[in-house]
Amino acid sequence: MSLGYHPLVKQLLDGELSLAELPPELRAEGAEALRLVGAVDRAPVVLSPALDDRVMAVVRRHAASRTRRAWHWLTSPRDVELRLRLRPAVWAGALAVAAGMALLLLARAPGTTLGPAPVARSGAHDSVFVRFVLYAPGARHVAVAGTFNQWDLNAAPLARAGTSGVWTTTLALPVGQHQYAFVVDGERWVADPAAPAIDDGFGRRNSMVAVTSRGAHTL
Amino acid sequence: MGLAGDATDGEVVRSVLGGEVERYAVLVHRYRDRYARYAARMLGSLDAGEDAVQDALVRAFDRLADCREPEKFAGWLFLILRNRCYAERRRRQREGRPLDERDDGVAAADRPDGTFEQTEQMRALERSLVHLTPEQREVFVLKHVEGLAYEEIAGRTGATVASLKMRMHRAYDRLRDLMKEHL
Repeated sequence: MSLGYHPLVKQLLDGELSLAELPPELRAEGAEALRLVGAVDRAPVVLSPALDDRVMAVVRRHAASRTRRAWHWLTSPRDVELRLRLRPAVWAGALAVAAGMALLLLARAPGTTLGPAPVARSGAHDSVFVRFVLYAPGARHVAVAGTFNQWDLNAAPLARAGTSGVWTTTLALPVGQHQYAFVVDGERWVADPAAPAIDDGFGRRNSMVAVTSRGAHTL
Repeated sequence: MGLAGDATDGEVVRSVLGGEVERYAVLVHRYRDRYARYAARMLGSLDAGEDAVQDALVRAFDRLADCREPEKFAGWLFLILRNRCYAERRRRQREGRPLDERDDGVAAADRPDGTFEQTEQMRALERSLVHLTPEQREVFVLKHVEGLAYEEIAGRTGATVASLKMRMHRAYDRLRDLMKEHL
């Protein structure tokens, strides 16, 4: 049977009491408890001298990849989003139409919120428009980050669809397999509930999507 | 150390974000060993601790733009490392190879200044820490290895002082049970 320390002895270990302040009948238990924390090894831990070089080698690679990404952003053609300011009645109608279209897309691809559109660019840089949808009624900001944008939290914000709590965006993704996750309010990573996910090795779940020239498919 | 060594964390972070990638080496050098003991104790081995610190430093660079208070880089880095340590423990659990008593790579080596009995007690305590929950182990390491007060631990981890004390007091009871042959 295990026997815990008396609460006053725990206060001793917490540094709130001294051994002399314990009642005499608890001093032996207190001395034993002090031997326990006295066995703590506080010797400093020194890591390999090569660690600095290893970290900086990876950092330089990642920085170079960011530069390439920035150059690509500056030089590649991209879609421009037009925002229209509509009266509430018109806005409600537009939402209804959008909801109808979403239903049609969902009917085509059951079990997924990704709605691929058959728009492809030519040549070796084929890409397909993929719609990302997340229901996050309490969110102030939602973005999607993934292998297609080097996990950049700011590269692909989602737009709020009125007050429905639904956030969406459409991205042109290159053909291939991609991992992604939603980032809510800049700090909370959320896997797409409508897509399969895999562990990223660090305790987070990444969603997966396969993009082919015929559309996007959850894996 | 020169100017780079004298710069505050905030100054270095801002210059790295401004494109001076090489200045990140200042932060790597500054923090590589500071949290090494925490990581090694949390993961039960020096090698695992070193991997965690390396990974945390790279992740911190990748997310540097998210560091809202550059002057508090140290605390922000600690949270990244802490998440990494917890994730590693969860990964090991999932893979069916939790920390075990053989992972005592940071246990006291034979110290020239310690008696055989003291060395054995140190080893026994290291082995016993493996049997605490990650939360109990963390609060024990931060308080009794790193020497932080409950208020400081609360500031770093976001837990309340009351919940930290509760974890610690359970850890004391568990350790007493595990260490009874050595006290």
